[in-house]
Amino acid sequence: MSNASERGVHRDHSPLLPTVSAGVVGLSFLTFVLAWLVLFPILTPSTQLVGGVTFYDVFGLAMLLCGVALVGSGVASRTGYVPATPSATAGVTTGVVLGVLGFVVTGLFVSQTLGIDGPMGLGWFLAAFVGGAAVFVATVAPREDVGSTVPIGAFALLAGLVVLLGVIGDSWTWNPSGLAATFSGDMAVPVVALVVSLLTAWAGAKAYEGFGARGRQLGAYMFVNLNAALMLFVLFVLIAFIVYRGLPGVLRGAAVGLGTGPEVAFGLHLPFDVPFVTNSYGLRNDVNGVLPAVFGTIWLVVGAVVLAVPTGVGAAVFLTEYSREGRFTQVVEIATNGLWSTPSIVYGLFGLAFLVPRFGNSASLLAGQLVLGFMLLPLVVITTRESIKAVPDSYRDASAALGVNQWQTIRSVVLPAALPGTVTGIILGVGRIAGETAPILLVTSSSMSPFPASRFVPRVLSGFQFTAQPPFVTNTELLQASSALPYQLYALITAGVGAGAGSDADIDPWSTALVLLIVVLTFYAVGIASRSYFRRRLQE
Amino acid sequence: MSKTDTDSRSDTQTESQPLVDHTVEGETSEEIRDEWTNYDFDGEAKLSVSELNVYYGDDHALKDIDMEIPEQSVTALIGPSGCGKSTYLRCLNRMNDRIKAARIEGNVEFEGKNIYDADANLVELRKRIGMVFQSPNPFPKSIRDNISYGPRKHGDIDTGLLARVLGRDDGEREERLVERSLKQAALWDEVNDRLGDNALGLSGGQQQRLCIARCLATDPEVILMDEPASALDPIATSKIEDLIEELSEEYTVVVVTHNMQQAQRISDQTAVFLTGGELVEYDDTEKIFSDPESQRVEDYITGKFG
Amino acid sequence: MSQRTGISNVFDERLGDSTAFTAVAAVGALSLLATFVLFVVESDLASVALVVFVAAAAYGWLFHQAETAWGLSVLTTLVGIVVLGLILVFLFLEAEKAFETAGLSLLLRSAVPVWSPSQGIYGLQVAIHGTIVTTVIATLIAGPLGVAGALFISEIAPERVGELVKPAIEMLAGIPSIVYGFIGFAILNRYLFYELQLNTQGSLFLAGGVIGLMALPTVVSVAEDAITSVPESMKSGSLALGATDWQTMKGITLPAAFSGVSAAIILGIGRAVGETMAATVILGNVAGEFPNPIFDVFASTATLTSLIASQYGDAAETQLSALFVAGVVLFVIVMFLSLVSQLIERRMRRQLEGDS
Ligand SMILES: Nc1ncnc2c1ncn2[C@@H]1O[C@H](COP(=O)(O)OP(=O)(O)OP(=O)(O)O)[C@@H](O)[C@H]1O
Ligand SMILES: [Mg+2]
Repeated sequence: MSNASERGVHRDHSPLLPTVSAGVVGLSFLTFVLAWLVLFPILTPSTQLVGGVTFYDVFGLAMLLCGVALVGSGVASRTGYVPATPSATAGVTTGVVLGVLGFVVTGLFVSQTLGIDGPMGLGWFLAAFVGGAAVFVATVAPREDVGSTVPIGAFALLAGLVVLLGVIGDSWTWNPSGLAATFSGDMAVPVVALVVSLLTAWAGAKAYEGFGARGRQLGAYMFVNLNAALMLFVLFVLIAFIVYRGLPGVLRGAAVGLGTGPEVAFGLHLPFDVPFVTNSYGLRNDVNGVLPAVFGTIWLVVGAVVLAVPTGVGAAVFLTEYSREGRFTQVVEIATNGLWSTPSIVYGLFGLAFLVPRFGNSASLLAGQLVLGFMLLPLVVITTRESIKAVPDSYRDASAALGVNQWQTIRSVVLPAALPGTVTGIILGVGRIAGETAPILLVTSSSMSPFPASRFVPRVLSGFQFTAQPPFVTNTELLQASSALPYQLYALITAGVGAGAGSDADIDPWSTALVLLIVVLTFYAVGIASRSYFRRRLQE
Repeated sequence: MSKTDTDSRSDTQTESQPLVDHTVEGETSEEIRDEWTNYDFDGEAKLSVSELNVYYGDDHALKDIDMEIPEQSVTALIGPSGCGKSTYLRCLNRMNDRIKAARIEGNVEFEGKNIYDADANLVELRKRIGMVFQSPNPFPKSIRDNISYGPRKHGDIDTGLLARVLGRDDGEREERLVERSLKQAALWDEVNDRLGDNALGLSGGQQQRLCIARCLATDPEVILMDEPASALDPIATSKIEDLIEELSEEYTVVVVTHNMQQAQRISDQTAVFLTGGELVEYDDTEKIFSDPESQRVEDYITGKFG
Repeated sequence: MSQRTGISNVFDERLGDSTAFTAVAAVGALSLLATFVLFVVESDLASVALVVFVAAAAYGWLFHQAETAWGLSVLTTLVGIVVLGLILVFLFLEAEKAFETAGLSLLLRSAVPVWSPSQGIYGLQVAIHGTIVTTVIATLIAGPLGVAGALFISEIAPERVGELVKPAIEMLAGIPSIVYGFIGFAILNRYLFYELQLNTQGSLFLAGGVIGLMALPTVVSVAEDAITSVPESMKSGSLALGATDWQTMKGITLPAAFSGVSAAIILGIGRAVGETMAATVILGNVAGEFPNPIFDVFASTATLTSLIASQYGDAAETQLSALFVAGVVLFVIVMFLSLVSQLIERRMRRQLEGDS
């Protein structure tokens, strides 16, 4: 079976198969993109292009072409007309994928088009099963060059014809029993084109490398790379879309120039003014803004950091420097990982049950700070521990050898060396809690209107009051409910604001989302950048 | 052992000697070395290496290596630790491509074509130029699966339900292949009753022999071995040595070893690398060990340094 | 490491003031305990005890820094355990009332509606069903795509590209869930509503998809760690036999990293189960009746999380308590997943260490 010795270690230079299959892959890719554009109606499928051709026809033609080319490639390779190095079979994976497809297509055809139910409603199932099995065998039984091209090619041909002949087209609808959804041609054709284009691109990629192990590798890499590209694309689209929708609202009334901004101190003004961020909600405002939410988020984050960072760093120091690996550290580890994976809403419930009754039985900033602090804690412990562990033992030994006691060693050698990693971890953690909504919703903001006026800006620093009796220190600002950016967005959504074009008086949820995104992603960007900076410095 | 002018030097100084020599010899060393490394042999060259340079970042690990490796014979590579033997071996089947820091210049011709050409097929290349690594690296699979891994991936062996249904089941051939390879690698007697056990449960020496068997099972034409016997006891070592000699009737074997006696016993020709990544002398094994041209080589094989 | 626990030898050297310090340390520890106890019993005096503790700690820090640092680090280590314990205790305490009123029908009720606070009916089955459906959909998305993404970053992409994609995926994790929810609510909900002529805005299908996207980064980064920890020598061994890179990934790398990759998927499942805001905003949050038929993923019911977030506000006592039961269920599921993934990960570490 092995013809290895006849094969050179250099590639065959016959261009026919690679050229045709590259064409298939390219055409499939175009179909894929076009299908998404039609699916998210950026293009209307029934638009008349040149000569009365619609996008339906384009899809149909593309699938037809790919199908013909694939069947041709398979046959040409099998007859030895073009050189290739196929394996004995296309493999179980290909077989199963196509078998499932065959099952679905036969099942739909029999039950929906022919309307056959059969005994006990199982007729369609039996037919589908037979169809799927047949396709499976047709895929795995022949040599790989046939098995991995002809069934896919045939399927593409079929789909192409169905679309071209208008069997599934403009006026086609399908309401599958059991689902509350109705599929129209506008939806079905691009979805079919998506599936078919992925399959034909897969087969084309295999054929490009002449099948065999390397063909499969290219086929798989195509999907893996596409997946990575799509993730990047989704990130880009999400951010771009929010910027596009939110930026006008954020910049409404914004100005740049000396003295335009709000006063900071001693008659000094910021050199820019963004009223959406610096204003609260008020009837007489030109532009209403989210200042109370911004301050709420700031104070929540500050409180959480003040609570979690010393605690987390202390615990990490104990776990890595003082204690030995054992039962106790294991328990702590399990607890830490448990806290890390506890859902935010559960933290919220905990705050509601434990903290809220103890802080005057109402939602309060302080409760939110504590809850977010508890959420941040495991992250600080985990990242700090990791960066302390990464400090080489030789540092400690060098310090100990100088007669410095353990605490001094930790303070002056270990912690500074672990600082970069710790700081990075904290920044990333802060990014995460700054965007948390669920716990704040329950313990800090529950009653807040989506349009908080300026008196709801928490002024924590001026809120401290000292009294002669216990509890000696009070801070009404900390014990008051407060808004926060993620909550603000939630409240706007539930209030149904901004469904239409926001009037000037409204607070646009897209702009709120943009401000929130900027805050959170800034933390992430700084955290990631500092991590790669320190990592690079460590490597040098 | 006759002591020369190095008599009075301490050990550490002796170690630095080649470096000193090298700089003193200056330009002439290049010429002389070319002479010593031009090895004439009868028959065909399986691999011919020319002007091969390897850099790890700024570190010049192999310098201008020219070497023709005759087919169906055993070529030994010897030299002090860190002189670049493994690096050289990895150049011959392009395993250095895996090391990001490594940069390779020059030609390695296999069947008259440079394996570093852009259109080289790495899979085919490595299939035909097999390799046994310096430290054993069995897969975390059963012993049987370790052996049949290569043939399976090349589509030469196919088992399982689907293969059986389609009448292509190669289970028997697999068993025969496993048995033959393990016997060749002198491991069969120790493991034949537990072929289904995880290979990570074997001892270090057994693992190394398993890796040799795994390499043989893919039926390569050239076998590169990086100190294949370093973790073995004398009995297993002599079995491996026998195996290597046997293999040379059919295969081309290139073997790195630290053991001079071993090199003498098993190889037809020997290449001596010295610190700094130079190929200093390459000749018939007998010649190298009885009458080397280079003083440095003589020093090295008589144990004066390295 | 073992030498670093000694605090007693420090004591020996300074026997003179050790009694005073021991007293302060005792006061500090006691006052912290008192703070905690007083806080739990809702006494105003908690802050007094806290002040005492701070004073004791300050004294210790100034005069006996090494010992105080040790003591404080012990205390901070306990915080995590205490918080987890408190969460457990208070969730169960609050859930008790609902259990008393509704008993096991909370989870086992078969008559419809299963959840109707106005009639005093509190059953969580529909929400549990919603959680299962969304989690399954999310896992189907995040699992395969996440592992593929991890393979891309660690094995396939050139270094430069990998260094770009990795932070991008972390950014994806950074986008707050409410923002995902908002896009789902404002754009995708409406889109599916019109395109598929749904009966309701919002569907489990969409919620599951969005949650899958949100769980994706978790799977990618944890799986990537696992894949990178497979020793290079194993991969080289496979490549040197003439296997392709892809065959090596499928045949060697992924099986060797199997435990780590499954831990990644389990963590992703945990994230999906606990995801709140996207589900709350996208779904209709009605938990009275199952979708009909039960597999209709285009129904707009509720998940456990969205039920809590959408109803806690105007919930009366028993209803609130029933929501705490939902919290307990969530907590138990997630703790279980966390424990399983830790066990698996430990096994993997042992496996890979064992063979070297
Ligand atoms: N991956 C790598 N990255 C950077 N430098 C490397 C790498 N591998 C080897 N080197 C360097 O290249 C030189 C040659 O190494 P090589 O492993 O080829 O030596 P060797 O002759 O096989 O030694 P030994 O007999 O100890 O196995 C050494 O100086 C080594 O430090
Ligand atoms: Mg070596």
